[in-house]
Amino acid sequence: METHQNDDVLNVTIDAEIYPEVVLLKCLYWYTNNFEVEIGKLNNLQYKITLKALHQTETLDWDNIVLKLKQDLIDFKLRQFITNETQTIRELIIAKAFAYYDHEKDPISEISDPVGFSPQSIKV
Amino acid sequence: MIPTSAITNMQSRKFKEVEHYQSPSRDYFLLPFKFHRISVEKEVIVNEVGDFLVVPTGTTTRIVAGEINSGSVSDQELYADLIANFFISESALPDLIEVLATRYRTKKSFLDYFTSLHIFVMSLRCEHTCHYCQVSRVTSDKNKYDMSRLHIEAGIRLMMKSPNPHVTMEFQGGEALLAFENIVYAVEKAKIEAEKYEKKITYVVCTNLALLTDEMLLYFHENKMLISTSLDGPSFIHNKNRHKPNASSHQLAVEGIKRCREILGSEHVSALVTTTTLSLEYPEEIVDEYVALAFRNIFLRPISPYGFATRNKDRNKYEAEKFLEFYKKALGRIIQYNMDGYFIREDYASIILKKLLTPFPVGYVDLQSPAGLVNNVIVFNYDGAVYASDEARMLAEMNDFTFKLGTLGENTYEEIFYGNKVAALSEVMTNESLPGCSECAFQAYCGVDPVFNHATQGDLIGHRPTSSFCQRNMEIIRYLIALMDKDKKIEKIFRSWITGKS
Repeated sequence: METHQNDDVLNVTIDAEIYPEVVLLKCLYWYTNNFEVEIGKLNNLQYKITLKALHQTETLDWDNIVLKLKQDLIDFKLRQFITNETQTIRELIIAKAFAYYDHEKDPISEISDPVGFSPQSIKV
Repeated sequence: MIPTSAITNMQSRKFKEVEHYQSPSRDYFLLPFKFHRISVEKEVIVNEVGDFLVVPTGTTTRIVAGEINSGSVSDQELYADLIANFFISESALPDLIEVLATRYRTKKSFLDYFTSLHIFVMSLRCEHTCHYCQVSRVTSDKNKYDMSRLHIEAGIRLMMKSPNPHVTMEFQGGEALLAFENIVYAVEKAKIEAEKYEKKITYVVCTNLALLTDEMLLYFHENKMLISTSLDGPSFIHNKNRHKPNASSHQLAVEGIKRCREILGSEHVSALVTTTTLSLEYPEEIVDEYVALAFRNIFLRPISPYGFATRNKDRNKYEAEKFLEFYKKALGRIIQYNMDGYFIREDYASIILKKLLTPFPVGYVDLQSPAGLVNNVIVFNYDGAVYASDEARMLAEMNDFTFKLGTLGENTYEEIFYGNKVAALSEVMTNESLPGCSECAFQAYCGVDPVFNHATQGDLIGHRPTSSFCQRNMEIIRYLIALMDKDKKIEKIFRSWITGKS
């Protein structure tokens, strides 16, 4: 990860193999309160991120912001890894949670047997 | 090192080797869970049904990397906790998946019976002139600002159609007691209908108690009605917040509370704090006032951003940080009272603690997913308009009718509760699918409020990084977990708040 900052803009180059787009989007969403965020592709292997401060402040502590960004990227990658690996079991839990709730009701209408195939009419 | 292949290869539909489906160099399989850093040293991990463990920072990385070794002495206890609390499993399909599914279902069981709270706004008239009040009018024009009996009857008919066998009929204002004769009419009518439809009704009157008479008290007693009033703290705060021409609102409220307790019993009277800019300066004094009046609970609510309150920016708009600072100081005072032997609980914390420490859901409209509006609450306004929540009708006072669902006497139950508007709203009513919330560790304890998002940010989905709802709830939940982790005496107090046993 390469970083470069001047005044109110931070440019970061990120390895696309390590941090896929979904991780970048989920992580950088939380920076949109203070920054105008741009995500672009430098090439197939790298993303270019630009953070531009929304509010003019006297001093932007870029060292801390970069440190936090690095930490957040790792955290969101971890989250995404868990989400991907547990997606099927999560869907299964939710499906099972609600699947057994439907009450089975007896059909209200009478079942007709126009061609005589009713199981009840078959003599064993 | 965390393998990235599972993520980067997702786009391919080719058959994969068997190794692809095996857990990467782990002796266990992951179950769905989320994590959040609560301090430099600690992080909290939360599973799919809201069970949590506070663990040293870096534990999630170790879990995912397969480094938790059941054979290692230092990891034995953690490994057992992770297995027992459904964070990891020794088989791909956990043996107890049915238990997990049942727990999930229990967490969402507040949905089983649909709408319970039916708010009837009996009158918009009020004799107070509170500076932050969203809706009231000082007027004697009953015809214009009181709910008509036709609308009362139509509201009761809709309430009887609710699938919920236990409904709450809450009378609000303005000042509801200004329309006492209509409250009596509504209760008597509802009693007859409830017998017909085999429903149990809890009656609640929201009042400032200034107009309370013996006749009213007797009626409330006969019908086992609950009183919900407002007490903003000592007189210098309460009277400033709640101005009543030529009278002390605080004195009237305190006297009213005493009379209600004598006739109805303490358990039938509750009070709410509305926090204003002035209140923020006096967290301890507000708690002390509640203790002095022998309350056993206090509900510290932030002021809502609706109606007249939004327009009065100078007096009411304050940062979420200021409220959190106030809340933490007040909570500290409340905890100290409990440590000293006086039981008093904070209700907002208790709602979150119940979600944290028990398998059960809490029927609190603001902290539910799917959202509480319509699912749990519906509002019948004085003019017959039906709104999705109390806050929605306050927005309507600002001429924003986004959440108006219909009109009493004109629309059917199906049109109101299952109509296009509710269908559209339901798209944004689950925090499991909202940006920012979907990855949040506190998802199971928090809720979603499209009305708040719309009122404060102009869209139903909302923007979490700038949402005071998100900022406030995330910090309160984090703070409660950190307090319990830091001091077991505090955890014991918190547990007593949700069990009622000290």
